[in-house]
Amino acid sequence: MEAYKAFTQEWMDAWKEKIAGSKEYREIAKDWEGSVSITVNADPSKNIPQTVYMFTDYWHGDVNEFVICDAAKAQSAKFIMTGDYARWKQVAKKELDATKALMQGKLKLKGDLTYVVRNIKTVNKVIDLLTEVDTIFPDDV
Amino acid sequence: MELNITNHATDVPFSFILQELLIGNIEKSEAKYEIYKKTRGITAIEVPDIETAISLHFQGGSLTIESGVNPYAAIIISTSSDNIMALSSLSIRLGLPHYFDEAGRRVLGLLFTGKIKIKGLLKHPLLLTRLTVIMSVM
Repeated sequence: MEAYKAFTQEWMDAWKEKIAGSKEYREIAKDWEGSVSITVNADPSKNIPQTVYMFTDYWHGDVNEFVICDAAKAQSAKFIMTGDYARWKQVAKKELDATKALMQGKLKLKGDLTYVVRNIKTVNKVIDLLTEVDTIFPDDV
Repeated sequence: MELNITNHATDVPFSFILQELLIGNIEKSEAKYEIYKKTRGITAIEVPDIETAISLHFQGGSLTIESGVNPYAAIIISTSSDNIMALSSLSIRLGLPHYFDEAGRRVLGLLFTGKIKIKGLLKHPLLLTRLTVIMSVM
């Protein structure tokens, strides 16, 4: 399996492909509408010199835009998830459950929490599929 | 719609999640707001896997959130963080939690297997029902 450098467009494309190819996702996410941005706070000690912004967009089981973006675009998402690099790495490696991270304040969510809870299976599936992407993390190289 | 929520557990991130969830639920539903205004009593939620506990002191139209389990809590729910989401996913039918769909059966399963423990379940069913209704995102 090809490995991708985390937080690059190629890595996002691989993640998008995983989601788009999942029949289970398509079924679970049939009610989901809207975009989610992910902000990875800068951590120069871990080879993340600048904050990374990613924009992902989903619509009733389809996957639309999946791009590295700027802060303004990230802010325009329906949901904005923010966290430190170390936390996102743990999530991507399935070492930290995203729900638990939210409750512990390790990740922050801006947006309608009731919508997210109503669609928690969709959120969990998207993250599960992320953990299937073979990822090279910046502080592991 | 005035909810009068005071959060004294600002050192507990989970308290903000629950606060936001309750505000989102109640503000979207006049029926839930009416139930919120009738709710009186202290309930607590323990989440051992994240070493967190908070108490919710309902006073008929206002709510105080405190850190830890209040010794006077009539209801104490103890479960893991992922099961909190299951509790919030219960459907409400005719003003009552509905246990006969997928989400309801899951919660019943968690109760019967001890993965969700509720102290005060039999002594304070009305308070528990009201809490469940206003916590439900459905």
